[in-house]
Amino acid sequence: MKPAPFDYLRPQTVEEAVRLLATTPDAKVLAGGQTLGPMLNLRLAQPAVLVDIGRIAELAAVTDDKDAVMIGATVTHAAIEDGRTPDPTGGFLPQVARGIAYRAVRTRGTIGGSLAHADPAADWLSALTALGAEIAIAGVRSSRRVPLSAFVRGAMETELGADELITGIRIRKLSSRARFGYHKICRKTGEFAEAIGVVVDDPERAYFCAVAGATGGRPLVMETRAAPGSGSVTVEDARQLLKGAHFTGDDYELTLHAAALHRAYQRAYAA
Amino acid sequence: MKIALTVNGRPVAGDVTPRTNLADFLREQLLLTGTHVGCEHGICGACTVEIDGEIARSCITYAVACDGSGIRTIEGFDEDALMSRLRQTFTEEHALQCGYCTPGMLIAARDLVRRKGGLSRAEIRTEMSGNLCRCTGYMGIVNAVARVMDERAGFAPSTAPTANGWLGPAPGPGASVAFPDPTPAGGREVSRAAPPPPARPAVARKPVRVTVGDIEDVDGTVRLAQSFVLEHPRQVVWQLMSDPQAVARCMPGASLDGPPRDGNISGRIEVKLGPIAASFAGEGSVKPFPGEYRQLIEGRGGDRRSGSQVSGSVDYRLSATTGEAGGEATRVAVTISYALTGLLAQLGRSAIARDLARRIGETFAQNIDAQLSGAAVAQVPVGGLSLVLQVLAARLRAMLARIFAR
Repeated sequence: MKPAPFDYLRPQTVEEAVRLLATTPDAKVLAGGQTLGPMLNLRLAQPAVLVDIGRIAELAAVTDDKDAVMIGATVTHAAIEDGRTPDPTGGFLPQVARGIAYRAVRTRGTIGGSLAHADPAADWLSALTALGAEIAIAGVRSSRRVPLSAFVRGAMETELGADELITGIRIRKLSSRARFGYHKICRKTGEFAEAIGVVVDDPERAYFCAVAGATGGRPLVMETRAAPGSGSVTVEDARQLLKGAHFTGDDYELTLHAAALHRAYQRAYAA
Repeated sequence: MKIALTVNGRPVAGDVTPRTNLADFLREQLLLTGTHVGCEHGICGACTVEIDGEIARSCITYAVACDGSGIRTIEGFDEDALMSRLRQTFTEEHALQCGYCTPGMLIAARDLVRRKGGLSRAEIRTEMSGNLCRCTGYMGIVNAVARVMDERAGFAPSTAPTANGWLGPAPGPGASVAFPDPTPAGGREVSRAAPPPPARPAVARKPVRVTVGDIEDVDGTVRLAQSFVLEHPRQVVWQLMSDPQAVARCMPGASLDGPPRDGNISGRIEVKLGPIAASFAGEGSVKPFPGEYRQLIEGRGGDRRSGSQVSGSVDYRLSATTGEAGGEATRVAVTISYALTGLLAQLGRSAIARDLARRIGETFAQNIDAQLSGAAVAQVPVGGLSLVLQVLAARLRAMLARIFAR
């Protein structure tokens, strides 16, 4: 399968990229191309122009201020997996990165590309929602920062305008006392997830978030404020949490998601 | 487009169309046919090569994007000691039969034993899961990789970044000698019409809650029901909803060419789901049942770009009820059914369908409500919201599903 013909532009700066997006009809951003490539080859996507942001140096940079780390949009999953980037989470990000698709995909797939595509089953979407990450967006006229929970409207639908570009993901640092658990259920390694559970608990920052991902829509944030603590959350508790968060799906799906969430709790609070 | 890159240590110049993938460039222009093309959408791993020292799928990487980079194909490993050892163990362990997956399998295996050591057999399987073999059952492959990994015990696995600290997809910005300026000669401005302003959601009034029922998929026909309550008397709602053009205006992505003629309509539905865009043009009919406050709209159409066809119906019925504040209100019960054939029919996941159905239903209900309340309905954005979106999301769990998880 070969893609339909398209034109190819390769801006060198963010400024040039957003200008091209604003002035080029039917343009699509190409980052690592690990989702867009297959869709182009299958002709499910047939944009007129690809704007390749893969060589914009400022997008592949990671900056560390005191409270947070800003990971550039085109940083690859492999770079995070290998620990080549500063990790604000004490091991959580590499653990998630390692489980994304396959190594030959992780070497080119990017964190920003994954979020821009906003597939509900994608790992970063759920993991970064649980971390309370913010998305930095550049446009022709202005730049803005949006919490990830507000960035995603639904399956493959985000706040990103056609003339805007994700420039980075800002993640607040977890303390050394933080606990986290991530579990995804999929039938085959590297497959899209059928259910994802994430728990992040940082007592020092008084931050807690439990998320159910791969629900078909935006990640569901559990409506519990306090950390239940020490892994005492049973599968039945997880079911109730999901119901409380207005989980929609049949009993099979509820069972899967409850299992994923329960295991995420277990991992977070394992000795 | 002209590109210059290094392949197996040799400088190479090429002239490619942007859509030429790296695998085709290697095979057809450079005649390096050791790189195999299997699925051509990034699943099977047969096309695995190294780009600037990192393994990658050459079937979903475009040659033009590799301008300035260093590519290594299976032919480039002839003199490599580690690859020689892997070739030997692959032979001894019967790790290949037809050989189609072998070049990709070897390149992925070499990358693995270079990066990691001391893995269990289960871990080796996990690490090698991006390469599919249809003959061996993987036993021989895992044996071969495990043997080479054991032999290397004591070697420190290489964790050194290969692309001199560059964190993005290879190659980095320094890789290319000046790439032609993307703007056409004669000025900085791209001389094309500006695109429409970015899609923004229609301003929601008081949100209307939409209940979405189960989605059935019987022999390719998907059926779903949803209902919502509008705080307006039934007669008022019917006045609007008996007009197919008004209904179309409130349905994200839909438009009619004009009023019905003898109960016949024509129009189009725009679909957008992530990077997928389609426009179904077609015709249909409208059957009102005024006594029952019910209307049945049927239609069929095609998207020329993807060669997909859709047929379906929307059946809605209004019943009088009491609103939250005790006033006259109307319950709108909608049943939508559709069947899709062609390329787009291959895509679908039921959970996504439900999410889309909910959002479509909510937007539709919100727009109807806005119009009834005298507010102008903003030109409804099609982004992610359209009737046929559910179609896209309703079937196929195998092929496309995999590529979405990245």
